[in-house]
Amino acid sequence: MSASPTLLAIQARLRKAGYSDLSTPFKLAGVDFAFTAAMRGRNGRALDLVLLVDTTTGDFGDRDGVRVRQRIEALSRALDVTGSRYVVTVILAGAVLSDGVEVLSETCRVLQVEAVSLDVEGQPVDEAAERQLDDRIRVLLPLKLPVASAEPETGVGPALDQLVGALPADTNKALVDAALAAAEGGEQAVTDAVALIITQSFQLEGEEESS
Amino acid sequence: MTERILKSLDITNFRSIRGHIHAPLDAKVVLLHGENGAGKTSVLSAIELALTGKVQSLERADPGYEKQLLYRSATEGSVILQTLCGAQEEGYQAALTADGAQTIHALDKELATFFRERAFLPQSLLGQLLQIYQDAGSEAASPLAQFVGKLLGLDRLDALEAGLKPLVDVRNVRKSVDGWLAAENEKSRVEALLSDHRKNHDALDGEVQLAIDELVRICVSLELPIKVAEDNLEGVAVTLAESADADAFAHLSDQQRRLAAIRREIDTAQNATGEDPNVTAIGADEASKRYALWEAEFGERFATARQRSEGLLVDVSLPSDPSRFADEALERLRSEQKQLGDRVSQARTDIERYAKAQDERDLANRQRETIDEEVGRLSTSAGSLASTLAELTSFIDGEICPVCDRDFEEVDGGPLSEHVHGKVRILSASAERLLTLGRTRSEAQVTIERLDREIEAIGSRKLTDEAIADLDRHLSTAGSVIAELEGLLGALREGTSLRVADVTARRAVTDAQSRHVSLAASRETLSAFAISINADPISEGETFHAAASRMEQMLAASAANLEGRLALRRRGNDHLAVARSAIARREQAKTRISTAAAAWQRAEDALGRAQLLRDQGIAIRNAVDKIRSGIIRREFNDRLNLLWRDLFVRLAPGEPFVPAFRIPAASTHKLQPKLITQHRDGGEVGGTPGAMLSAGNLNTAALTLFTALHLSVPKELPWLILDDPVQSMDDVHIAHFAALLRTLSKEHGRQIMIAVHDRQLFEYLKLELSPAFQDDSLLTLELSRGPRRDSVCVARRFSFKEETALLAAA
Repeated sequence: MSASPTLLAIQARLRKAGYSDLSTPFKLAGVDFAFTAAMRGRNGRALDLVLLVDTTTGDFGDRDGVRVRQRIEALSRALDVTGSRYVVTVILAGAVLSDGVEVLSETCRVLQVEAVSLDVEGQPVDEAAERQLDDRIRVLLPLKLPVASAEPETGVGPALDQLVGALPADTNKALVDAALAAAEGGEQAVTDAVALIITQSFQLEGEEESS
Repeated sequence: MTERILKSLDITNFRSIRGHIHAPLDAKVVLLHGENGAGKTSVLSAIELALTGKVQSLERADPGYEKQLLYRSATEGSVILQTLCGAQEEGYQAALTADGAQTIHALDKELATFFRERAFLPQSLLGQLLQIYQDAGSEAASPLAQFVGKLLGLDRLDALEAGLKPLVDVRNVRKSVDGWLAAENEKSRVEALLSDHRKNHDALDGEVQLAIDELVRICVSLELPIKVAEDNLEGVAVTLAESADADAFAHLSDQQRRLAAIRREIDTAQNATGEDPNVTAIGADEASKRYALWEAEFGERFATARQRSEGLLVDVSLPSDPSRFADEALERLRSEQKQLGDRVSQARTDIERYAKAQDERDLANRQRETIDEEVGRLSTSAGSLASTLAELTSFIDGEICPVCDRDFEEVDGGPLSEHVHGKVRILSASAERLLTLGRTRSEAQVTIERLDREIEAIGSRKLTDEAIADLDRHLSTAGSVIAELEGLLGALREGTSLRVADVTARRAVTDAQSRHVSLAASRETLSAFAISINADPISEGETFHAAASRMEQMLAASAANLEGRLALRRRGNDHLAVARSAIARREQAKTRISTAAAAWQRAEDALGRAQLLRDQGIAIRNAVDKIRSGIIRREFNDRLNLLWRDLFVRLAPGEPFVPAFRIPAASTHKLQPKLITQHRDGGEVGGTPGAMLSAGNLNTAALTLFTALHLSVPKELPWLILDDPVQSMDDVHIAHFAALLRTLSKEHGRQIMIAVHDRQLFEYLKLELSPAFQDDSLLTLELSRGPRRDSVCVARRFSFKEETALLAAA
């Protein structure tokens, strides 16, 4: 049996996301279920059961929509009977099956992965292809929160450093320091601090005069 | 850090909850199910009320909502929420009366806001969420700005931006910087002072210049060869003080005294020689004066008359003495006048006669011609024919013609004898006429010859018109000269006598003077004196008195001139003093100006420094704007959009367009993100989500936006409470949504509470969100109520169970 490259790529991606292969066929409630490939999550996704169907070249009637549905529904029934909490996700890799597949979505989660550009080693050719693949099975992948570039917790350090860096070199240091120090105290504090510095510049003159 | 979780909720008589219900909430996932109207939303609102003291979604719908919070027929109620933070419990509570809710303990304001904005998604908000963010303006209070502020913690940057804002407008600067207005006032005061000083200085400068100009004029009129300038006033003073004029004046005074002395000597000498010469001299003076007067009065007329007389009497020489001249000239002129008069009248008569004679001759000529003509017509033989015929008459008998023998009766003209008589009569009359004509013609001939001779004579002597006019002119000139001379006669005679008297007197004077030696000596002295004062020496005939007066006048003129010069020098000194004083005051003004200018410079410098600081403040503000907008743009583009996209794709893997915020790259500090859609695989920009997405996917977009916003901000409250968010999502989305909820709960530690009304969905979520590991937990709450009974809340807790059903096939 030779699985299609798309199917292999999906398996590889899911393995990377923490899913492990299940040997097929497997037995449930005393019945054998044969799929091209099956996987299972762990930890928070321990109840995820992922079945892969190769609609282009697969065995076990993968290319026939009706037979695919029959097998999935049988598995689903078996899970119900055993009181299992497994959540079934079916990934249809390759061409879209003609009929009967829509009905599946009432029974389980159905994901469809059409042809993705892959290189000779079965990896997506570029980021766009990788993202296309990810987008199709994203619901199975962990959610990554983008890392904040600045310190969002306080907004003090990098942003203000950046500000100081962006100022012209000849900017009055006392003015900048006073303004930045007062920024914590809010708008009025900044206004007062800057006003004080400017007022001092008038008084400074008085000292010069007297000296 | 141990996170705060919801522990339990007690509700009594709140909205649609009748009586009291207790709901445990201490699980990672809480599923709340109830038929429509069972009170799901009331339970979630109760949590909000307990935590924040109000219910925002209700407030939005009805500002007076507080009166509706208590269950309709109840008199009082309460909402109590317990949270657990590690081992520490905390209670939040609100008491309900018919008038509204009384908060007993709630979250602090910041957390309450977080709860409202980021943790709790009421059903009503879901549909409005996109619209709210799409309409978000750039004001600081807009939801997006609040989100950004919270997300980025840009408080300090905001404070800097707002705090530095007054620097932009100078009016605000004056208000906030104490010294600014004072410095500006000081500067303008010093400016005014400076301008006054300068004006004063200029005025003094003008004064100095005026004085110097005056000095220049004085020096020029004194002919002093000195250059007058401000730096040469000392030289001018020395020059003005020179004593040349004073010396000259003193010298002149001496001369005047000497002249007076000489005059006294002369007087003495004249007294000694007697009266005569004096009198004679006076007489001579008198005569000469009179003659001069006469000369002045009549000399010109006399000369003119003389000239005209000589013009008329060309070949006669007239004597020079006026009186004799007048006599002789008159005589000659009169004869000339008469002669001219005769010639003129003769010429006139000739002219008249000439014309008349010519007329007469013409007449005579015409008479002669007429006669000649008539004579030509008459036959010369008429007389002899008449006499022959008369003789023939006697031979006529009857009517038969004796000559031709023809009967006259044939002609029918009377009898023949009558006819012959008639013929004789006519012929004799013609003969008589011829005689008369001959006589008349010879008379006319004589007249013509006489007139011809006369015309010839007159023509030969006749004068031309020009000659006559000349004669006339001469005649009238002669007349006028005669009249003039006659008028002058008396004066001329007087002139003659005066001239004689003058000559006599002069002669007498000279005689008298030469006779007196002492006077001659005096004369010498006077002459010498005259030469010494550069005056003309005494001339012949000039009296001592006249000479002395002349010299005195001359000296007086010199004295007056010198006095003028001295006065000018004095005025020059005055102006010099004025100039010096003005210069001194100008120096003072200069000093004041430099003092004021220094003060102005100081004020200017101070303002300049302050202005520099202000500019730098503005620069800081601009930098703040730039950095802040950069951060915001990055946050939106790099973080929020990525997260939103991820979430949206999870729920709608088949939708090619994904919603996003876009911040125009050109936008400045104003935060004006737009809601757009992007193609999932390319950067293609579509329309707004409302235009590009189906209703179900719009709902998905809103839900994922809320989730993305929640996940983007710091996790202050790890709760995500959703009120029936899957009203119109189809089954596929529900499956994906369940997976998302599980991901949030299991991987990101959010405590999830979700209300659903659909039984099937409830069951499905129960399965999907089942505990997947040891510490995982799930609570289900089922609400129900009957028309006549209190609300009931049934809670069930699910815990982790090892999954054993799946076995590898043998």
